[in-house]
Amino acid sequence: MGRRVNVIGVGMIKFSKPGQSEDYHVMASKAARAALADAKVPYEAVEQVYAGYVYGDSTCGERATYEVGLTGVPVFNVNNNCSTGSTALMLARQAIAGGAAECVLALGFEKMEKGALGIKYDDRESPIGKHAKVMVDVQGFTQAPPAAQMFGGAGREYRWKYGAKKETFAQVSVKARKHASNNPYALFNQVLSLEEIMASDEVFDPLTRYQCCPPTCGAAAAIVCSDEFAKKHGQTSPVWIAAQAMTTDYESSFETSMIKMVGYDMTVNAGKKVYEEAGLGPEDVQVCELHDCFTANEILTYEGLGLCKEGEAEKFIWDGQNTYGGKVVTNPSGGLLSKGHPLGATGLAQCAELVWQLRGTAEKRQVPGARVALQHNLGLGGACVVTMYRKD
Amino acid sequence: MSDLRFDNRVAIVTGAGNGLGRSHALLLASRGARVVVNDLGGGHTGAGKSSAAADKVVEEIKAAGGHAVANYDSVEDGAKIVQCALDTFKGLDIVVNNAGILRDTSFQKMTQEDWDLIYRVHVLGSFRVTHAAWTHMRDAGYGRIIMTASASGIYGNFGQANYSMAKLGLHGLAQTLAIEGRKRGVLVNSIAPTAGSRMTETVLPPDVVAALKPELVSPLVAWLCHESCEETGSLFEIGGGYVGKLRWERTEGALFRLSRPMTPENIRSKWSVICDFGRSTHPANITESIQPILGNVGTAKGKGGNEFIDVDEALGYEFPPVESKFDERDLSLYALGVGAAKDPLDTRELAYVYEMSGEGFKMLPTFPVAPALGAVFALAKEGKQAPGLHYGFDRVLHGEQYTEIRGEWPRAGKLRQKIKIKDIFDKGKGALVISAITTTDDAGRELAYSEMTTFVRGAGGWGGERGPSADVNVPPDRKPDAVVEEKTSPNQALLYRLSGDWNPLHADPGFAKNFGFERPILHGLCTFGFAGRHVVSKFCPNGDPRFFRSIKVRFAESVFPGETLVTEMWKESDTRIVFLTKVKERDKVVISNAAVELFKELPRPAEKPAASATPAAAAPVDRASFGSADVFTAIEDHIARRPELVAKVGKVFVFKLSSPDSAWTIDVKNGSGSVTPGAGAADTTLELTDADFLAMTSGKADAMKLYMGGKLKIGGDVMASQKLSFLQKIDPKEAAVAVAKKRGGATSTSTSTPTSTSTSTSTSTSTPIFKALGERLAKNQGLAKEVGAVIQFDVKSPDISWVVDLTGPGAVRQGTDAKATAVLRIADADLAGLCKDPGQAQSLYQHGKLRVDGDVRVARKLGFLKDLA
Repeated sequence: MGRRVNVIGVGMIKFSKPGQSEDYHVMASKAARAALADAKVPYEAVEQVYAGYVYGDSTCGERATYEVGLTGVPVFNVNNNCSTGSTALMLARQAIAGGAAECVLALGFEKMEKGALGIKYDDRESPIGKHAKVMVDVQGFTQAPPAAQMFGGAGREYRWKYGAKKETFAQVSVKARKHASNNPYALFNQVLSLEEIMASDEVFDPLTRYQCCPPTCGAAAAIVCSDEFAKKHGQTSPVWIAAQAMTTDYESSFETSMIKMVGYDMTVNAGKKVYEEAGLGPEDVQVCELHDCFTANEILTYEGLGLCKEGEAEKFIWDGQNTYGGKVVTNPSGGLLSKGHPLGATGLAQCAELVWQLRGTAEKRQVPGARVALQHNLGLGGACVVTMYRKD
Repeated sequence: MSDLRFDNRVAIVTGAGNGLGRSHALLLASRGARVVVNDLGGGHTGAGKSSAAADKVVEEIKAAGGHAVANYDSVEDGAKIVQCALDTFKGLDIVVNNAGILRDTSFQKMTQEDWDLIYRVHVLGSFRVTHAAWTHMRDAGYGRIIMTASASGIYGNFGQANYSMAKLGLHGLAQTLAIEGRKRGVLVNSIAPTAGSRMTETVLPPDVVAALKPELVSPLVAWLCHESCEETGSLFEIGGGYVGKLRWERTEGALFRLSRPMTPENIRSKWSVICDFGRSTHPANITESIQPILGNVGTAKGKGGNEFIDVDEALGYEFPPVESKFDERDLSLYALGVGAAKDPLDTRELAYVYEMSGEGFKMLPTFPVAPALGAVFALAKEGKQAPGLHYGFDRVLHGEQYTEIRGEWPRAGKLRQKIKIKDIFDKGKGALVISAITTTDDAGRELAYSEMTTFVRGAGGWGGERGPSADVNVPPDRKPDAVVEEKTSPNQALLYRLSGDWNPLHADPGFAKNFGFERPILHGLCTFGFAGRHVVSKFCPNGDPRFFRSIKVRFAESVFPGETLVTEMWKESDTRIVFLTKVKERDKVVISNAAVELFKELPRPAEKPAASATPAAAAPVDRASFGSADVFTAIEDHIARRPELVAKVGKVFVFKLSSPDSAWTIDVKNGSGSVTPGAGAADTTLELTDADFLAMTSGKADAMKLYMGGKLKIGGDVMASQKLSFLQKIDPKEAAVAVAKKRGGATSTSTSTPTSTSTSTSTSTSTPIFKALGERLAKNQGLAKEVGAVIQFDVKSPDISWVVDLTGPGAVRQGTDAKATAVLRIADADLAGLCKDPGQAQSLYQHGKLRVDGDVRVARKLGFLKDLA
C-alpha cells in the first residue's frame, strides 16, 4: 500500500473522571501540542487533520484544533464508536500513503458523562440494534449496562466453551492495574488484588465492577508523515506503521454467538490481514495494546489475534505470558480497564504507548527489546482496526 | 455480456395482432425466435373477427428477415394454436398468453355475458393454450410460459370486477403451474403490464397512454422466456420503464391458545396486532404459509384456565416494582398492632416499640410481611392486576403466608417490592394463586422474601395442576413443648390496619355483615404476628428476634378481635418450631400447618472480605468500608504512633457495641497504651450500637447528640469521655494503611463472615429431585463416570445445598463441598425445568439463571438430571 508512513510524534494528557476534566477543546489542544512538540514540527506543517470523537455536536474537531492554530487546514471529523481514534489514524495513514499529504495530525478526544454508555438518539434505529437482537435472543436483557451485558455474555459463552474460571477474568484486571500503576497518564494508579476485584460489585456475571473500563475523559494525538518529511525534520529512524487493516461486521456477528456478536471475527480477520501485509506473525510481537473494554474482551482478543491458541487463554494468563517476562506484554499502559477509555482518544492513546515502547522511552513500563508492536481497537456497531508498528 | 438470443426457439404469442402481443412477437422474432402470431382479429371488446392484424405482424417479421406464421384461432381453441406451432416449426418452447378483451361495467350493471366472456377469453383461453402446450413441454423438459395478469387484478379497479377476477386468477394458475413444472424445466411467470394498448385507451388519459409504449413491457417477457432465466412462479409489475417484483407480506399476527374458546371478541381485542405490519414476514410457499398455524397447534395447548384465570398469561408475570418507605414509627406501630408490649415494663417487648430502648430497638421479625402485603394492596388500589387474572377481591381469601428474613434490616429506609405470580393451582372449586414477593432495599440488597397464597373462590375447575397437597408442618403426637395464651383487644383490628391492610372487612361493621360476619374480623396477618411473637418469646435464644429466619402458616379460620389466642408450639429441632394457634373461646384452630425456622447462629451483617493476601502489598483501605473492628485497628495504630497520649489521657475506656455485639477495651493509661478485644476494667464504659459507633467515629454522628438522644449510654466517669476527643485526630491515611495490613495479616480474627446456616424448608422441590438422583446413581454406576466431577448445587428460594460427587461410584448428599469442581447456583423454581430438559443448561446459564463458579464445563454434562423432577 503506497508509501511508508511514519509516526514521528505522539502526545496525550492524563486521563480523568467525568466531571473532573477540562472541556474537550482544551484537552484535545493539549494533546495535539504535545504531539507536535514531540515531533518537533510546527502546526503550520500539518496539511490535514483527522479528529475523532463520539459524543459532541458536529465540527468539534475544528473547534478543538482552533486552540492550536487557525491555519485553514482541512479538518475531517471522525466518528466510529470505540474504534474512533484508530479510525482517524487509519485515515491519516491513507492520506500519507496515497501521496495526498506529507504530514497529517490524527487527533482523538472525548468528554464523557458519568455512568455506563447509553443511547443518545432513541427516536431512530440504533446502530447496535442488530447486535442487541442477538443478545436478547441468546440471553435476554437485564438491568445491567448494555455493553457489559454484551461483553459479559461473550465471557459467559467463553466459559461455557472452555471452562475458564471467573478468577481468570479477574486476573486480567490484576495485571491491568499493576501495569497502570507505572503509567502517569492512567486514570487508576492503584493496584488491586485478585480478592478485591472479585469482591467488587457484580455488574454482569462473570464481570465485577473492576473488570469494566470506566467512563473517562481525555485526549491523545499522533503526527504521521512520509519518509521525506521525516528526513527533512531530522527524524532518521522513526517508528513506522508496518501494516494496518479495518474490518466491520460479518454475517457471523448476527447469528447465535455472543463471542462473534462482539466482533471476534472482525478481530481475527483484521489480524490476519495485518500479519499478511507485514509479513510478520503474532510470534514476532513483543508488546500489544488491545481493546480490553472488559476483561472478557481481552481474553477473546488474545485468541482472536493469535497471541495464544483458541481455548488456551486461561493458561496463557496464569502462566504470566501476558506481562513482563512472558511471551507478549499486553496493555503495558494499563489498557482501557485502568488507563481509562475516552472513546475517541483510546485508539491514539494506544498508538502513543506503543510508539514510546518502540522508542525505548516508556520508563518503568518499558518492555525490554520491543521491536514490533501490535495495536487492536474495536468498536461495537462495529469496526475493528488492527495496526502493526515497527522500529528499525 | 452477449445478447439474449432465441434462435431455433418456437414461441406462441396470443393476441399478437396489436399492442403488447405484437410488441412481444416482434421482439422475440427479432432475436431469432420462430413465432406463431395468433390473433382472432376482433375488436378490443371481443366483437368481430378478421385475419388482417396477424398477417400484418407476420409480414413485418418476415420483412426484417425473421420467421413467423399467422394463426387466427380463438384461444378457446388452444389446441389448434399449439398444433399450428408444432406443424409449422416442429416444436414449442414459449407460450405468451396475452390475448385479452375488456367488458368494463360497474358490478351493478354487469351481465352474465360480461362475466362469461371475460372468463372465457382470459382464463379459459390461457388454460386451453397452456394445457395443450403442457404435455409437449414436459416431455421436452423445457418450456417458458407467461401469464398476463393486471394491476386491476392485484389491487382491484372500479368497473373491472370481471377482469380483476380473471387476471388474478391467471396468477394463481401460474403459481401452481410453476410448482408442477419446475422439475420438468417448465417455468411459469406472470406479468402485470401497464401499457398504452387498445385496452388501456379506455381508462388512461391519451398523453399517458402514448408514453406507456408496449415496447417498454416486452423486454421483461423476453427475459423471462429466455433459457438463461431461472425465475418461476413470480409476479412482476411493469410499464413506462419501471419493472418491479411482487411478493406477499403477512403480519406476524396473533396467536390464540387452543385450550380457550376463540371468540369474535378475542379477534377484536387483538385486531391491532393482527394488522400490525411493523412485524411481518414474506411467506413464499405453502410451507411457509402454514408454519405459524402448525406452530400454534403444536405449542399453544397451554396450561389452561377459565374466565377467571388464564394460567399461561398470568404465570410468571412480574408487576412493576412498588416502592415504599418505613421508619421506627412503622416498626413500632406494627408491633403494637400485633399485641406487643402489653406490659410496658417487659423490657424485651418494649424493644419492639421503643426506639430508645435499653435493650436496643428491635424489629419484630414478622414485620416484613406488612410492606410486602402493602405493596399488593398498593397495586390493588391502582386497579393493577396481573394479566390473565380476572377476579375481584371479593373472591379472595388469604390462604397461606410464608415470610423469610433474607438480610439485615435497617431501622428505617426505602424498600422495593417485586411481586411475581409464582404458581397457580386448580383446586377444583377454587384456585390457588401464589405470589412471590421479594423485598430489597433501594440499593438492591435482598431483605426479605414472602410467598402469599390466595384462595380464589369459585375460580377453579379447568382441570389444571392441583399442586402439592401433602399436609406439611403437622404437629407431633405429643403435648406441646410450649404454650402462650394471649387475649387480643377488642380494637385490635383497628390498630393493625394502620400497618397497611385497609380492607373494610376489618373495620366496617356493615361491610362485614354483608360478608356474613356478625362483626369485623381480625386480619389473618395480625394473628400471624401474634403467633410469630409467641414463638420468638419461647424459642429464640434470649428471646432475641434476630434468630428468627422464616415463618409459614395456613389460615384456617377467622378470629374476632377480643378473642384469646393460644399458640401451641413443638420444637422439632434447634432451628425448627412447628406450631398452631387456636381461639380459646371457641376452641377452633385458626392457624394450622405452621412452622417457624430459626437461624442457628446470629446472622452477622455482611462485611467486605479481607482485602489482600499479603500485608506487604496491602493497598490502603477506603474509610467508607471500615467495620468497627477496623476502627479499633486504626485507634490502636494511632496510639502506638503517639506514646505521649498515655500521659495526656490517662484513662481506660470500654466500648460495648450491639448489633452485632462486640466489646473493646482502649487502654490509654498503662504502659504505652493498647487496644484489645473484650471488656476489661474501665474508667468509663460506653454503650451504643455498632452502626452508631461507626457513624460517630467517621464524623457522621455527633457523640453529644447520640448521648442526648439516648443512643449512647455512658457509665462510670462520664467526664473522662471528653478525653476521647483524641480519636478525632486519627490520620485517615495512617488508618487506611493500618487497616489494610491488619485485614491482610489476620484473616481469621479480624472480621467474621456471615454464617447464616442454610436449612432446608418444606417448600423446596429439590429434595425429591436429589433423592431420586441418589437412587439413579446407585442403580447406574456408569453415570458418574461420564462426568467425573464433584458438583455442588446451591438451590435458592428456598435455599438448600447439595453435593453430587461423581468422582467415585456416585453419591448425593445435602451440604457443601469446598473442593467441588463447580458450584452451580439455581433458583428452586428453575431446577425442575433443568431436570426436565438438561439441554436448557446453556440457555439458563447464558441468561444468568444458572450461575457457575469453577469449571463451567460440568454444566454441559447435566444429562444425569434428566426427568428427575
